[in-house]
Amino acid sequence: MLQFLSRLAPRSPWIYRLNAGSCNGCDVEMATTALIPRYDVERLGCKYCGSPRHADVVLISGPLTLRVRDKVLRVYDEIPHPKVTVAVGVCPVSGGCFRDGYSVGSDIDHYIPLDVIVPGCPPRPQAIMEGVLKAVEVWRARLEEGLCSHS
Amino acid sequence: MLPFLKIMLRNLILGPSTDPFPYAPAKTHENFRGCAVFDPEKCILCGICRHVCAPGAIQIRASEDGSGMQYLLWHNSCVFCGMCAHYCPTGALTMSTNWHLVHTGVEMFSNCISGFIPFGECAQCGAKIQPRPQAIIDKLGVRSPERFLLCPKCKRESIVRNVAQVRHPRQENP
Repeated sequence: MLQFLSRLAPRSPWIYRLNAGSCNGCDVEMATTALIPRYDVERLGCKYCGSPRHADVVLISGPLTLRVRDKVLRVYDEIPHPKVTVAVGVCPVSGGCFRDGYSVGSDIDHYIPLDVIVPGCPPRPQAIMEGVLKAVEVWRARLEEGLCSHS
Repeated sequence: MLPFLKIMLRNLILGPSTDPFPYAPAKTHENFRGCAVFDPEKCILCGICRHVCAPGAIQIRASEDGSGMQYLLWHNSCVFCGMCAHYCPTGALTMSTNWHLVHTGVEMFSNCISGFIPFGECAQCGAKIQPRPQAIIDKLGVRSPERFLLCPKCKRESIVRNVAQVRHPRQENP
């Protein structure tokens, strides 16, 4: 039964947006990806959900500022395994323009393993869709193997 | 009356507004600024790109054997502002329309432009100078082409010799 569900589940990943101190540029692009008919990520079976407990794919934006670090990690831990992390924009992976800022700690991958990276400042909606599709592939492989991303 | 009929007809004629991106190539405007493209043949190692890069995506390091410089541009730091391409004096850096930069976390540290630029040689004494590709010779070296290829020391000597020749022409040919 579980194997059957694992085979079906990657057809409809539920996406959760996590703002780790972003400037909102990437969040606007993520909203655009879902809401505007021109891009419409929902035709690929994806759905944005409001609760981290329902999420499969996490879109993280922002350089993980010190102010939100503990809160982001708490929300991240609530997401059930196996989860796939997508870094949207250059901030999560390198800090981008905010690197070495007074409010930015170390890189986000010291705390959260990044599975897929979508560079850009902000990335265009098609690039985010490309990243989500790649994340779904990673998620499918993980479901088949029964692996956890964070263990 | 019934204004939606007009909208409905227009939508029927124009077709769906959704961009069929994952199943077909997306439209990209020709002026779209995507990732930077680097041409090591044109680079003169002036370092203005590193100076103007706001997120510090460009690194220029000396190579271990001292024969040139290692040029690195990290796509994961680049914010596509295009300042490097704007200020590049030789056009070694250009912005392409390529935005297909999605990669997995394993490839995080290999997603960069990496190029090796060997130093140039002084035409007279053979000392190491910045490379002198044709692109910068056409731009800056037109006034005195032979002096442009010299190292600073040989250039100074050449200028002094030239000045001496102009001011005291008799001493040069007794």
